[in-house]
Amino acid sequence: MRWVDVKEGLKEFLEEFKREKTGIAGVILLIVLVIVALTAPYTTMPDLPEKWRSSAYWEDNPKNVPPTWYNMFTSQKLVPQLVYYANDLKITHPSDTVTIIEADYTFPEGYILGPQGIIIRGLNVTLNAPSQIPTMDIYLLRPDGKKVPLLKNKQISSGTVISIGRDSAISTNIYIWLVNVTEGREITMFEVPLETILISDMMPPLFAKVEPGMNVSKIIEEPQPLWGDYKLVLKINNPAPKYNQVIYDNIKVSFLGRTYGTMGTDYLGRDLWAGIIWGSRVSLTIGVLVSVFSTLIGLVYGVTSAYLGGNADEFMMRINEIFSSIPSLPILILIGATWGHVTLWFIVVLLVIFGWMGIARISRSMALQIKEQTYIEAAKALGAGNGRIIFKHILPQLLPYAFAVIALSVPGAVIAEASLSFLGIGDPSAVTWGQILNAAQSQAATTKGYWWWVLPPGLAIAVVGLTFVLIGTALDKILNPRLRRL
Amino acid sequence: MGYLKYLAFRIVNALIVLLIVTFIISALFVRVAEESNRSKMYEELMLWERTEGAKIKQSQGLEAFEKAKAEKQKSLEEKYELNIPYWQKVYKKAVRTLKLDFGTTSMPIFGTNNVSDIIKVAVPRSILLFTTATIIVIILGIFLGVRAANNAGSVFDRALSIFALLTYSLPMWWTGMMFLLIFAFKLGWFPLSSMFDPQLTGWEHVKDVLWKLALPVFTYVFVVFGGWAWTTRNIMIGTLQEDFIMAARAKGVPENKVIYGHALRAAAPPIVTMIIFALLGSLGGAIISELVFNYPGMGRLYWVALQQNETNLLIGLTYFFTVLYLASVVLADMIYGFLDPRVKVGASAKM
Repeated sequence: MRWVDVKEGLKEFLEEFKREKTGIAGVILLIVLVIVALTAPYTTMPDLPEKWRSSAYWEDNPKNVPPTWYNMFTSQKLVPQLVYYANDLKITHPSDTVTIIEADYTFPEGYILGPQGIIIRGLNVTLNAPSQIPTMDIYLLRPDGKKVPLLKNKQISSGTVISIGRDSAISTNIYIWLVNVTEGREITMFEVPLETILISDMMPPLFAKVEPGMNVSKIIEEPQPLWGDYKLVLKINNPAPKYNQVIYDNIKVSFLGRTYGTMGTDYLGRDLWAGIIWGSRVSLTIGVLVSVFSTLIGLVYGVTSAYLGGNADEFMMRINEIFSSIPSLPILILIGATWGHVTLWFIVVLLVIFGWMGIARISRSMALQIKEQTYIEAAKALGAGNGRIIFKHILPQLLPYAFAVIALSVPGAVIAEASLSFLGIGDPSAVTWGQILNAAQSQAATTKGYWWWVLPPGLAIAVVGLTFVLIGTALDKILNPRLRRL
Repeated sequence: MGYLKYLAFRIVNALIVLLIVTFIISALFVRVAEESNRSKMYEELMLWERTEGAKIKQSQGLEAFEKAKAEKQKSLEEKYELNIPYWQKVYKKAVRTLKLDFGTTSMPIFGTNNVSDIIKVAVPRSILLFTTATIIVIILGIFLGVRAANNAGSVFDRALSIFALLTYSLPMWWTGMMFLLIFAFKLGWFPLSSMFDPQLTGWEHVKDVLWKLALPVFTYVFVVFGGWAWTTRNIMIGTLQEDFIMAARAKGVPENKVIYGHALRAAAPPIVTMIIFALLGSLGGAIISELVFNYPGMGRLYWVALQQNETNLLIGLTYFFTVLYLASVVLADMIYGFLDPRVKVGASAKM
């Protein structure tokens, strides 16, 4: 084949491909997917796979909450996540020993329940006089003018994390305040019913209408939201500013949302959107690598078998049959489960080992026809070797077909990889869609209705599959004229 | 004459492949079992060292302890069959498997320890779910495929093609999860788990089973029938362009007869092959989908066996899957040779 012929052929092919609308749609989807996969470190965060496994990193995120845009489809709106750093907070120093930090929070109209919790962390304390430890008071100023004392005289150190909503001591204080407002009496912390504190969510009452005469348990069960501007105030007393220093540069106040980001969060508070974006890398890489390798191996194997013929052909076809008779998924699961550390490359190799047989059989039967053509005979007469005839004269005839097969076998490979990692067999240092679904299954996300956790990964798998199916069928239509009537 | 010879050739071929695959499977599983047995043995040895070994060490000194430890290790190696060479064990296991003697499990599953009995309990359940669903898929797929091929290019044909391409790229187990979310959680029409209630009997039991099967069957049909219809359509479009169809139409054969009598019959061999593989394959269940639906069939059994390290059961199941596949191959060859006489010429000419 001369270069001009290749160019002509390619041009003709492209002309025909342009007329296939589905093929063009597939190519556009593929370009989008590749861009998404390549830009994942910039659009989300550069080191997500390492952080994905550390539950500590995701502590400041709400757990199991739907995406923020879900509010558009529901009348009961849920507040989004809101995070303040030192620059966003109002930090004042009324005297040498007192520092006041204020965080404004607007509870917009139409929303219910308020934030899932409030987490305060990042105070740096250098302690030189241990007898005079700095302390902190926290209270919440509500739009109805009431003041809720959340914490009093809490001793702080560098590692202190205040977690309103998860800390039962703070929940107890909220309960005491509720009784104080509604019934007008002071109770001690021993009178607070422990089971209420542990079982109920004490955040909604904090952001609900509380008036004298109301029933406390009613407020906890059916809180009426009180919309308006709230102010969280942290008052830090440092009795010995000369010796003990409190540094506020790294302070972080998170109002945990009841919705989060583009795709919500899972049971550890992980940002599912980032996981989905990163998962595309693994899926695309494995899908393409597996289908390219298994197609090429199958092609060469089938053509060689057909060309050699006789006993060699019989022998090679028996090996092919043996491989296809081994039930692949059970064996893959067995190998993966007992191997120890599984890397992505190992999965590619496994899927290729169990993926080349079908293509080998088809390309053998195609090569059997080509083999009988006179030009092969001519090449033989001219003294061409087996390798030359196979690679130079037979394989190029099958290459167009190979491209269609490669595209059409990507979905299978993507699903196989996802299935394996769904069963917990996969590279633990990568984020994959199968693993996200595995976590969803083990946390019973389907029976709890966490659709934002189950839907996107599978949809992403389907989109990758569809992309290659669209390209593959378009190629198939061009190369297989019988289907072209449409 | 030629047909029988061809058949015998295919059967012998399948048996040889089965023999080799059984050895490969045995080699693989014995290796896995050996590793888990070795760790079990060391665990037991450690336990012995801490209890009885420590006593011997105190009362009789270090030398007696070393001797007792070596003896204990030897007896444990015998217990876990670690003293027998690897290949000998593989050979024994393979021969026993070929004789259908799968042995027993260490923990009872479905109330029995016998591997064959366990499989006998699970196979009917997989048949109930997957074979039923497969039959629905075949009927629906062929019917819709033929209709689409007959009206190639129509709205119906295009819609079917797009649906087929979409479902082709969906993992069945994920679709199952989604359907559970929508139909079981949100709408509450179906149960969240498809595990049967063992207390019910008679009509109540049948109702329970039907109710719990509905969603898995629907999921399977939803994901699979599009692909079937599409493949049938592509085969049929090829056949409908043949000259003999034109001839049949020209001589005035009714259209229905042209399609179902002439075209579908000519297109039958590949479709029949697909049917055989689908039907026999359905006996093996589906590992992940059964896990998602919590359905106690063959696939879930394999997963349970893997989790509990039941090597005998794993080998039995894998052998069963292999036999199913090879039986499909032979059956397909048989019917193919019957439906398409050209095929057997190639094979018998070789002999």
